[in-house]
Amino acid sequence: MNEAPRKLSLDQWDGRYEQLRRDGLREPAYGGPLRRHVVREKDFRLQQLQFDNSPAALRLWNFLLTENERLHQARAGGEKIVGAMKDLGTVPVMACALPGARAFYPDGAWWTPCLMECSDKLLQQAERMGLDASFCPVRAMLPAFEHGGHFPRPDLLVCSAGAVCDDFSAIAQRLEHLGHSIFWWEIPRRRHPDFGETACPLPGNLAAPKTQVDCVRAELQRVAGALGELAGITLDNDRLAAGIRAANQARQLLDSLRRAVYGAPAAPLPALEMLVAEMLAIHFCSDRPETIAVLGGLLAEAQTRARRGQFVAGAEAARIFWVNPVADLRAMNLLEELGGRICGSDYMFTHALDLIPENLPPLEALARIALADPMAGPTSDRAARIVRECQAGRAEAVVVSRIPGASHCAREGEIILEMVRRKIGIPAIELEIPPVCDALRPSLASRLQALVETARARRPQ
Amino acid sequence: MICAGIDAGSRSIKAVLFDTERGEVLASGLAAQGVAQERLAAVLFEQLLQEAGLDRPRISGIVATGYGRHAIGFAGTTVTEITCHARGVRRLAPEARTIIEIGGQDSKIIRLEDGGRVRDFAMNDRCAAGTGRFLEMVAARLEMNWEKLAELGRQSRKPALISNICAVFAETEIIGLLADGQPLPDVVAGVQNAIATRVAALAGRLVSPPVYFTGGVALLAGMARALEEVLACPVQVAPRPQFTGALGAALAAAAPNPPGGGRLL
Repeated sequence: MNEAPRKLSLDQWDGRYEQLRRDGLREPAYGGPLRRHVVREKDFRLQQLQFDNSPAALRLWNFLLTENERLHQARAGGEKIVGAMKDLGTVPVMACALPGARAFYPDGAWWTPCLMECSDKLLQQAERMGLDASFCPVRAMLPAFEHGGHFPRPDLLVCSAGAVCDDFSAIAQRLEHLGHSIFWWEIPRRRHPDFGETACPLPGNLAAPKTQVDCVRAELQRVAGALGELAGITLDNDRLAAGIRAANQARQLLDSLRRAVYGAPAAPLPALEMLVAEMLAIHFCSDRPETIAVLGGLLAEAQTRARRGQFVAGAEAARIFWVNPVADLRAMNLLEELGGRICGSDYMFTHALDLIPENLPPLEALARIALADPMAGPTSDRAARIVRECQAGRAEAVVVSRIPGASHCAREGEIILEMVRRKIGIPAIELEIPPVCDALRPSLASRLQALVETARARRPQ
Repeated sequence: MICAGIDAGSRSIKAVLFDTERGEVLASGLAAQGVAQERLAAVLFEQLLQEAGLDRPRISGIVATGYGRHAIGFAGTTVTEITCHARGVRRLAPEARTIIEIGGQDSKIIRLEDGGRVRDFAMNDRCAAGTGRFLEMVAARLEMNWEKLAELGRQSRKPALISNICAVFAETEIIGLLADGQPLPDVVAGVQNAIATRVAALAGRLVSPPVYFTGGVALLAGMARALEEVLACPVQVAPRPQFTGALGAALAAAAPNPPGGGRLL
């Protein structure tokens, strides 16, 4: 069953899957050949990707691509479905602490048009609803809510407001105006404590005034009330503490996986699978126990490969730190094809990778982790973390990718690039990667190839 | 050792034969780009060999660069324009610290360290507003060639203000300005300023002098001056700026470990 790591096309995975089945592959209920996602869900983009050949990667992809199916099954089984919007990683910890409830991430629909190569017409439908290409691709969730066919309509929609990007606010408000009731909670823009103000340490080497933490804690108390009301069970401290412990288990696994892959002299797992794995931190792909199993499988695979000296990108590959997730997943394949590898990442939700403090009252701990969201604070805080992690990961270059229409801060890329150049002096570029635009692949490849060449040329001879 | 560099740009193909022992260019030439890129490049390459009195086996390595580099199958390896322009400029002007390259399809800012190594770079995104394509659009709209365009630009007394955000919008603006009776030289100078401003925005804080200007657009008199104004520093046009990338490719072919890796022939 174990073979040397290599990347497979979808066609090659068909054969590999048959071989794994013959060898006694055991799969979870959502398992099956990758091909079926193209046939049944029209995830056409899979036909253009290169996948890792391990059973652990197969499980990861199947887990990711069956989320809607699993949500519908959960609904049919009587479970309560919570749509946690904008907030990246806090409300799901709370929702998953309730028996019979699961959270998902409707905003994740931004990926759908890319996966389906627009065959679902979500972006066109969003345009007809008044949200054109000048808006963030998250607009794809609007028609997904309206017309169904993707995720089930949640029993409760919870959305953070305040320190969130304008595009998202506009889209979420439009959603509410269309009749989808939203439970709003507010997160203030994080600021550094003033002189004389009581400061609270936050995960990620950050700090905020105690007044801000108190404010978020009170807001999360309201969220806990709404979730408890939905489930018919009080979401008390014991349940929350258990939920935090379970979430930390997933976060610890992800941390170990990132260390095993990004920290290794060569890459035991590909950049693409790592991007998908990191995404699980946000909302557990609506199944926390299974997230733990999937991450555990990937970690075991990475460790086994590293022990055997088997890698998907060699030690000569340029070590790239990647900032922001890409809409077109092919970019991650492309980086490796051109001689790069990922040595660290900031996909916008680094706070969801940090452990939630277990030595604090649960809502206090959750408030602190929510305030540590890089999107809720100044970009300079985010840039400082990126610089630290670049140094720790011995990055040779940085890519800040952008998605057209999506800007959490108009000058975000510039601020990050400037700090990277000033503090560590490595090449750093900003790339715009649209969700679906095949014609731009050559120019994207040129930029990545130039970055890899530059990084390699700077190595001591 | 004699090496060849081929720069398959979006508008033209440039080729250079370089003798590493004598340290000089033996031949260089340019051909219009077309659909059959490899054939066009091969014809140009053969012309240069003939001109230099060489036959193919004398060529130790061929590196292709530029937008169409992957189409040049007879090249030993490919290297990006960033690396090639840096190598080319380092050869011609070792003191250079910044390169501005405006090509037919894109524009680039390359910052160099001591020794000419690339420190950082930036490239424009999809819009044609900061590229030679914009000038071509304007030349076509005004029914004139580049030389005439340059000559007109020099006559301007008060350059028009033209948008640098979008080449398509800018074209509409140009029609409006001409309909309004704006003098043609002022419109042309306005276009040059719009491109320069766009490039300056791309450069951000990457610019440190001395600044060298490469690529075909550098040949257009007035562009360097427009860049100098927006960057507030002297901008020197590299010698034979349209060949800098091809020269850098030839130099890359001569390197013991070519940046793109792989075989050279």
